[in-house]
Amino acid sequence: MGASPMKQTVQMREIQDKMKPGVITRDGFLGTDSRNLIDILTEDDAEVKRLNLSHVQIAQRMRELRDAGKNGLGDFTSVPPHFEVRVDMVRGKLPCPFGHPGLIQKTNIQVKNLEKKREITFTDMHIHMIGEHGFYEGKGSPFRLEIRDLIETLEIELPEE
Amino acid sequence: MAPLAQLLIGIGAISAVTTVLAVIMVIADATIANYGDVQIKINDEKEVTVEGGKPLLGSLMEEKIFIPSACGGRGSCGMCKVKVISDVGDYLPTELPWISEEEKAQNIRLSCQLKLKKDIAIQIPEELFNVREYECEVASLVDLTYDIKQIILRLKEPAEIKFKAGQYIQFQVPEYELTSESVYRAYSMASQPSRKNEVELEIRLVPNGICTTYIFEHLKEGDTVTINGPYGDFHLRDTDARIIFIAGGSGNAPIKSILYSMMETNNTREALYFFGARAVRDLFLFDEMKELEKNLANFRYIPALSEPLPEDNWKGETGLITDVLDRHINSAENTEAYLCGSPGMIDAAVSVLTKNGIPEEKIYYDKFA
Repeated sequence: MGASPMKQTVQMREIQDKMKPGVITRDGFLGTDSRNLIDILTEDDAEVKRLNLSHVQIAQRMRELRDAGKNGLGDFTSVPPHFEVRVDMVRGKLPCPFGHPGLIQKTNIQVKNLEKKREITFTDMHIHMIGEHGFYEGKGSPFRLEIRDLIETLEIELPEE
Repeated sequence: MAPLAQLLIGIGAISAVTTVLAVIMVIADATIANYGDVQIKINDEKEVTVEGGKPLLGSLMEEKIFIPSACGGRGSCGMCKVKVISDVGDYLPTELPWISEEEKAQNIRLSCQLKLKKDIAIQIPEELFNVREYECEVASLVDLTYDIKQIILRLKEPAEIKFKAGQYIQFQVPEYELTSESVYRAYSMASQPSRKNEVELEIRLVPNGICTTYIFEHLKEGDTVTINGPYGDFHLRDTDARIIFIAGGSGNAPIKSILYSMMETNNTREALYFFGARAVRDLFLFDEMKELEKNLANFRYIPALSEPLPEDNWKGETGLITDVLDRHINSAENTEAYLCGSPGMIDAAVSVLTKNGIPEEKIYYDKFA
């Protein structure tokens, strides 16, 4: 049986409002997810914990691949052992919907895992929202990052049991 | 007393109390919150008188002094920073996330959050006095590539813009089906200063972008749009040094403006333009740049493709633009460089340029940041 939904604070409600389409980005960050933001965060947090990982670890791996991919100057570049990464930046920065200080560069990172024949795309905003807030976007969002998909494609090592 | 009468008396009492409270609030707002007129002294010389109580950013805008802002004053971009000389009290919680310790030491404040409760003295860059808001008509929309559009805006009011080649404007996206508030985005001007009645922009489609979705999917010729500017410090320095230009994608815009300005002023300085793209489909204005080679005294255009397709039949330079640059630099003597593109491309290009002996203080750039 799932846990009862947690009570959402006014502050969380305000953050959720900033995540709606047209406020920060065209599609927003929630997709068709009808859950409260606090429940989205709680359930994703639980999944990451079940895998004995942390959001910080996941964001760190995303950051590593992004930094290695920068050498390609916008083209795909090889990143050992078997990745190809493309980092593409456009002009401008976006604010974090959680109200975190500063602005986040508009950067798209495409990662191809050539061995597993999988591909995933994420942004600097994703790296920030995952690392700082444990947020992978709402279900149904075209930019939602499924945790398992991230871990397997980027080969984030699970700690030994 | 009958229950109904008690009920009516109770309702009447509550109504009376709320009415009195409302009147008190209106009087309080008109008196306590009434700051009267406030003077803003700017750069120790210009003084304007505004209605007190409003944010500094908006009050300056009403006086036609435009501080850069990407969020229209909602406190979500951190761009509208202003140095305040007088005492205006402690930092607000809404300012603190955007102000570094170094900025606090200089009393830099976020002008959209600072409400004018008393006279204030501020310092702003002199070039901001040249910034205006322009109402424009979309004169043309042309696809340059599959993801870059050229837009020409004809200025209506005011009808002329004065700027340096290389500067940028802020484009206002009005409320439309995707947004409930207007937003602003910065774009370099591709037109040269002599075309003072119009502004040309080269805009690249950004996935999930509010502004580029509006431009690519909704904007039509004949529409009215608002821009403000000019802004920025990216412009050709007045020297006789050889020039190296480096850009990729929509980074071409300010370089194009500078090149046309050089042509019109018969500037004979030697200039090389390294333009990076992936394949032929990403290479735009090739013919126009080759034409400039004929019209500019000492100019060479060097496009480089990093991943040309077989069907491109590309015979020009290949590889990363920084590798091509490295192959071509044969002297650092009396050379300046002007770069426009992503921070990654610029950092890599700066590295190549300094490795080849060009000092950092002679390298000017407009990072997409």
